[in-house]
Amino acid sequence: MTGENATMRRGAACSVLFLLVLLLGATAFPADKYNLKPGAKGKICLTCHVAFQEKLKRPFVHTPVKTGECSGCHNPHTSSHGKLLDDDPSRICGRCHGAMAPEKARSRHKVVAEGKCTACHDPHASANKWNLVKAGNELCFGCHKDLGQAVTKAGFKHSPVEKGCLTCHDPHASEKFDHLVKNDVPGLCLDCHKADKPAFARRHSDYPVAKGVCTSCHNPHGSDKAVFLYANVHRPVANGMCNQCHEAPSSPTPFKLKNAGFELCRGCHSKMVNEAFAKNQLHWALVGRKGCLACHSPHASPEAALLKGPTISVCGECHSDTIRRQETSLAKHEPVANGECKACHSIHSSDVPLLLANPSVNDLCGTCHDWGKHSSHPVGAKYTDMRNRNLSVNCLSCHRSHGTPYKKLNPFATSTDLCVQCHERVKR
Amino acid sequence: MGNHPVKIIVSVVAMVLLANVSFGADAVKLRYVQSFYVDGKEVGLKFPEGVACDDKGRFIVADSGNGRLVAFTVVDGKPVPENEIRVPELSFPIRVRVNSKGEIFALDGREKRLVRLSPAGEFRGYVDASGMPSPATVVARSFDIGKDDSICLLDVFAGRVLILTPEGKFARQVDFPKDYEVISDLAVDRAGTLYLIDSVKAAVSIAAKGSAQFSPLTGSMRGTMKFPATITTDGRGNVYVADKNGGVVFALGPDGSLKGEQLKMGWTEGFLYYPEQMCINDQEEMAIADRGNNRVQLFSVKR
Repeated sequence: MTGENATMRRGAACSVLFLLVLLLGATAFPADKYNLKPGAKGKICLTCHVAFQEKLKRPFVHTPVKTGECSGCHNPHTSSHGKLLDDDPSRICGRCHGAMAPEKARSRHKVVAEGKCTACHDPHASANKWNLVKAGNELCFGCHKDLGQAVTKAGFKHSPVEKGCLTCHDPHASEKFDHLVKNDVPGLCLDCHKADKPAFARRHSDYPVAKGVCTSCHNPHGSDKAVFLYANVHRPVANGMCNQCHEAPSSPTPFKLKNAGFELCRGCHSKMVNEAFAKNQLHWALVGRKGCLACHSPHASPEAALLKGPTISVCGECHSDTIRRQETSLAKHEPVANGECKACHSIHSSDVPLLLANPSVNDLCGTCHDWGKHSSHPVGAKYTDMRNRNLSVNCLSCHRSHGTPYKKLNPFATSTDLCVQCHERVKR
Repeated sequence: MGNHPVKIIVSVVAMVLLANVSFGADAVKLRYVQSFYVDGKEVGLKFPEGVACDDKGRFIVADSGNGRLVAFTVVDGKPVPENEIRVPELSFPIRVRVNSKGEIFALDGREKRLVRLSPAGEFRGYVDASGMPSPATVVARSFDIGKDDSICLLDVFAGRVLILTPEGKFARQVDFPKDYEVISDLAVDRAGTLYLIDSVKAAVSIAAKGSAQFSPLTGSMRGTMKFPATITTDGRGNVYVADKNGGVVFALGPDGSLKGEQLKMGWTEGFLYYPEQMCINDQEEMAIADRGNNRVQLFSVKR
């Protein structure tokens, strides 16, 4: 009896489960909501969309396609969305797959945030697992082209990158970490690199780098330098002389700096610091709490002069309003658009306001622009600006170098609006 | 259809209500009075970065590009320049203030040292913050003088405000807020409250007299301000912030609420081009070092 009961209970449970599955299935793909003719489901669409028949032979077919539920995603009659989709393209995948990124994710893949699932996945069928449109790193490098080129060219290749980006990155989001990484740095690195090995300690001058940030010296994507160091390495790091800046490795606080701010760097870079201090206008970031590290990386960097990143992003950390002005400008001033802030600014210090590299605005602009030919308007120190007796006419009298919403970096909507600033008698 | 009187009245009332919603009930306005362009020898000001007001109607201008100070008074509505103040210890003045005795204090941008001068402009010595705790290094970016003549020094190197006695001895310090980005200027009001402006966060922090730490007066106003770089206060607890890159002055109430966005970027009188230090005197006149326009402009503060 007991055995029979158990069998009956199991049978009942299986039936309930089966019904649940049917019900769920019905919820996801309402049974024949378009009242198709018997036997038409999964076939009728293909009578016109013949090319799909070949596509469906691929090894990985999206479940609703496999079960002939074209109407799971498409409305066969009419739609407000492209490709007769039954919902907004950014939402339709989420109807079955839910949110692919945690709500409070620390980092989120841009395409996921924008709901562009088809950037990576083929919604019908694919030759690749998870319906990916391309296999392996080729998919990622389709968008991350610069990184792809760097990885391909790197003389020293990091094996996890060779295995695939997903070794370290989650393609959708990372709940706790930046850059979509699956673990923090050094945690991610220490999964493979064993810090307790004597050779590891020796290579790092016995500093407990397992508590540090490996990516401040090493490029995890590969490099032309041995041990994946970035292209530009700070000389004390290259020479293994960490104690030039840090306390001894045996110290209770081995990473503590020997001096604060710019005073630490001054030990070696005294000429540069003294020259900067000898000018009237100092870039205040240089003497702030971060000192030189406000802009420079202390260990290594892919950028020249050990900059923390491309110039435009380093300068933009504080001067975002200026960078934004260029981004929204109708006319693009080439040095700003290309992030060549140094073309016009002396970045450590200057005797001129705005840290300009030349005391004469006209001479500065003249290094690229032959402004003497561009207009018959008098320009130069001997011509007083009619709006202000203490100003002479220079390029910035009529242009704003970082951009404006108007043509030719004009600060006013029309040339007339600009000209009548001074020539009031022609104003109407 | 035309403009029916009722329509006009409704529109005006709506505009007044909207204005009040935007800038609080008692908006602050700046009305242009006049500009200081030249000294007594008709030598033009050049990139002036600082200006101080005293309670006798005197304005001391840090004529930075010319490496000197020039004092002005206003007589019969016209600016009257005094003789220039030029001392070798002050080659590039960037900030200037006056204490209750009329002594002039000026920060030298090149040496980053604070210089004390007599009311007539004779050099009386450096204010070098004696008796300092660690770190001893100080890089002064700005300063202000309290009503009790205490000297408040903005030390950007160690991220703190040093409060010195009128003689220049260290009295105490208040560290910058923990999450600060770039503190560009400070102000101290008559009650001894300290104010800081963070240019990158576009936020104001305050520390009441005697307080050991700063707390936020405002949240980030990044969407409203571009790069606010100087700050001052009036006798009513209002705070004024000059947006250097925007060419605008923002007035904030004692509670941090926005009470007005005044002036615009430009070159003609009443407009600003990279404004720097401001000051307000007892007559409710505000002077602004209009650096990019090579002048100092005077406005009356209207409520």
